[in-house]
Amino acid sequence: MNKTLTSLNTSFLILLFLSLIFSMFSIPNLNIDEKQSIKVNFYELIPQDDILFDSSAPDTLIKKETKKISEINEKINTDETSIISKFKINKLDIKNEISKIKLSKEREDILRVSAIIQERISSIWIKPNSLSESLTAKVLINLAPSGEILNFSLIKPSSNTSFNESILTTMNKMTFFEEVLFLERKLFEKNFRNFNLVFKSSGEIE
Amino acid sequence: MEPIGIFILAMICQVYSCAANVSDSVERMQYASVAGEEYLQEDKLETNLNDKVYFEFDKSTLDAEDKSLLEQYLPEIKKAKIVRLEGHCDERGTREYNLALGERRALEVRDFLVVKGVSGKKIRVVSFGEEKPLKSASNEKAWAENRRVEISLY
Amino acid sequence: MIRFSSLLFFLVSNSIFSILEIEILKGSDNLSKVAFVPFGLESGIEENYGSEISKNIENNMLLFGEFENLAVNEMLSYPSSENDFYYRDWKVLGVDYSLIGKVNSVNALGNLNISYSLFNINRRIKILEGEIVGSEDNIEGISKIISNRIYEEITGLRGIFDTKLAYVINSDAETYQMCISDIDGKNEQILFTSKAPIMSPDWSPDRKKIAYVSFENGLAEIFIQDLQSGERDSIQALGMTNSAPVWSPDGKSLALVVSFSGNPDIFLYSINNKRLIRLTNHYGIDTEPSWSPDSKKIIFTSDRSGSPQLYEINTKSKRKKRLTKDGNYNARGRYFPDGKSIFFVHGNDGNFQIATKKLSSRYIETLTSTSLDESPTISPNGNIIIYATKDGLNGYLGGITLDGKSRFSLPVKNGSVREPAWSPLLN
Repeated sequence: MNKTLTSLNTSFLILLFLSLIFSMFSIPNLNIDEKQSIKVNFYELIPQDDILFDSSAPDTLIKKETKKISEINEKINTDETSIISKFKINKLDIKNEISKIKLSKEREDILRVSAIIQERISSIWIKPNSLSESLTAKVLINLAPSGEILNFSLIKPSSNTSFNESILTTMNKMTFFEEVLFLERKLFEKNFRNFNLVFKSSGEIE
Repeated sequence: MEPIGIFILAMICQVYSCAANVSDSVERMQYASVAGEEYLQEDKLETNLNDKVYFEFDKSTLDAEDKSLLEQYLPEIKKAKIVRLEGHCDERGTREYNLALGERRALEVRDFLVVKGVSGKKIRVVSFGEEKPLKSASNEKAWAENRRVEISLY
Repeated sequence: MIRFSSLLFFLVSNSIFSILEIEILKGSDNLSKVAFVPFGLESGIEENYGSEISKNIENNMLLFGEFENLAVNEMLSYPSSENDFYYRDWKVLGVDYSLIGKVNSVNALGNLNISYSLFNINRRIKILEGEIVGSEDNIEGISKIISNRIYEEITGLRGIFDTKLAYVINSDAETYQMCISDIDGKNEQILFTSKAPIMSPDWSPDRKKIAYVSFENGLAEIFIQDLQSGERDSIQALGMTNSAPVWSPDGKSLALVVSFSGNPDIFLYSINNKRLIRLTNHYGIDTEPSWSPDSKKIIFTSDRSGSPQLYEINTKSKRKKRLTKDGNYNARGRYFPDGKSIFFVHGNDGNFQIATKKLSSRYIETLTSTSLDESPTISPNGNIIIYATKDGLNGYLGGITLDGKSRFSLPVKNGSVREPAWSPLLN
């Protein structure tokens, strides 16, 4: 009895450990194009269970989905032995697909604003020559809903002083990110109230 | 069994590479200067034949045409006291590499002549790389003319 | 239960990682704009040293196209001390940095006392303050020292305004000159004039000597010339051809190419005891050696694979490694000052261009866009490459900054200029 308990404990601990590891590496990376990429974490984007249908979802997509479902239903009719189990799966599929549509809309908005912010910073950041070093520095930004930069701080400086200086100089040139005005308030609060800019000296994968 | 075999193999390699190092580091070269220019004091022999052989880019091989030209040349070459072969390249590519390539071209001609019975002792080889072009333009025609070995007899 | 709550904690802590991150990889194509305010003069000083110094500094800083300047007549004010300096005057003009200064005194011996300050306008802070004493006969020298300091402050790289350039001028078929000059082209000195070709100059690390190849005796031969005395010594490594000399970082030996019976290989030549040690032994062409900054490795060109490619060899273990694979012409490699990348001549579709490659990556990046580019040489701070190229019949020197923002060409000489070699820094 005791033995089984300890083994349960250990397995639990291992599970715990794995979840930690997973949590650290599971930030998905979303590429906009080869040179510019935006990291978006999908934890933020997983919709609540009660949201099933969304009016803003494009009609065409929904039509496509329903078409798909009817096709599948036809198949089910031909294969009567597993109607019940398959139908259950289909129900789940519908739910997933629809939440994906909802997600893609939010994601699109976030990506669009992120891309504009990225572009604006890139257009004024005078990147110093850092030889072959691969440098990374992280800046935390606090925005007001108006888009005004309330505060920024170099939370993870790189090892190179002139690289850090160039970033501070750039951030001092920026005052507003008006782009966030077009976002839904909820989306703003979730994603742009506080966000990070990660400056990298080279685009290569290490 | 196997690890021991690998170990022995590694040891053998080690010993071999050490030996190679030693023999290389004690290597002291005492060659006589091959291309002394004493012959330049002598008169150059004039001939009516074309005294140049041409090459492809980054190549040092003789084609059939070059070989037949050299064959025609042979009697005169055999008469001469000294045969000077001067290798050249076109301006493309790097200068030091071209210096080596020019040498390769001249040596290719030398080897051909030696096979045809010319004494290697009277052949002098020198390369100017891309430093002495015949034509200074930057086009295919000029480049083709510059990739050459010049033969002069003394 | 406790365990469940701690698991919950980890799940919540996930949200710490989940803040939106936007990556910035691309920088702006713009250059930093610097205002070089004419230096002021303490009352009583008559000669206008002030504007001469600031003009010199401006010319230095603009030499390689790394910065943009603000014309003096566009400035809203001409402060010479911090008290008169207002950030907004420069912010409205889009200036990133402002340099101000003043000649404080001139003593009876003609020594100037100069103070200067550099401001970062966007951050509204003074980033550099300095004072320097120097002779009025050496305004150029003083200006170079100040230029180096502000360059270092802005870029984080070593200043290179007191470096020199060696090059070969071929003015007609029978005239070849080995020359050196300051990096800005001033103070040209002819070291040696010959009727036969000269090639491959290389600076000794102490900047006191230059090694080069001369054909004056009818074949390629290596000479070492002392810059002070002008004395020339042939090193006579023997063999058919001696060429491609490069100094080791400690200045005690040369890596060079010796061709015995027509097979060029890389050797190390010790300058003190004149001993020759073989480094490569291959029937292919091995040439164009150059040392890694830590002097452990030598990069060289070899056609052992059938086309010229770059290899590196460990000078101790003699282990070799192929560095380039793409394309059928990669030659005359040199290491960057940090030893992590190389630059070389890359042949591509019949064009020969200057390219770089990180040693850790397999990608070759082409820097230049003309078609007959060769002999690249890098500034000691690793930020600029000067190379030889050709326009019509004449060779000239071009330059490019490593970020690709600036391309420039050096002043035209009377004749074809080639084989630039950038001097090391004075230490």
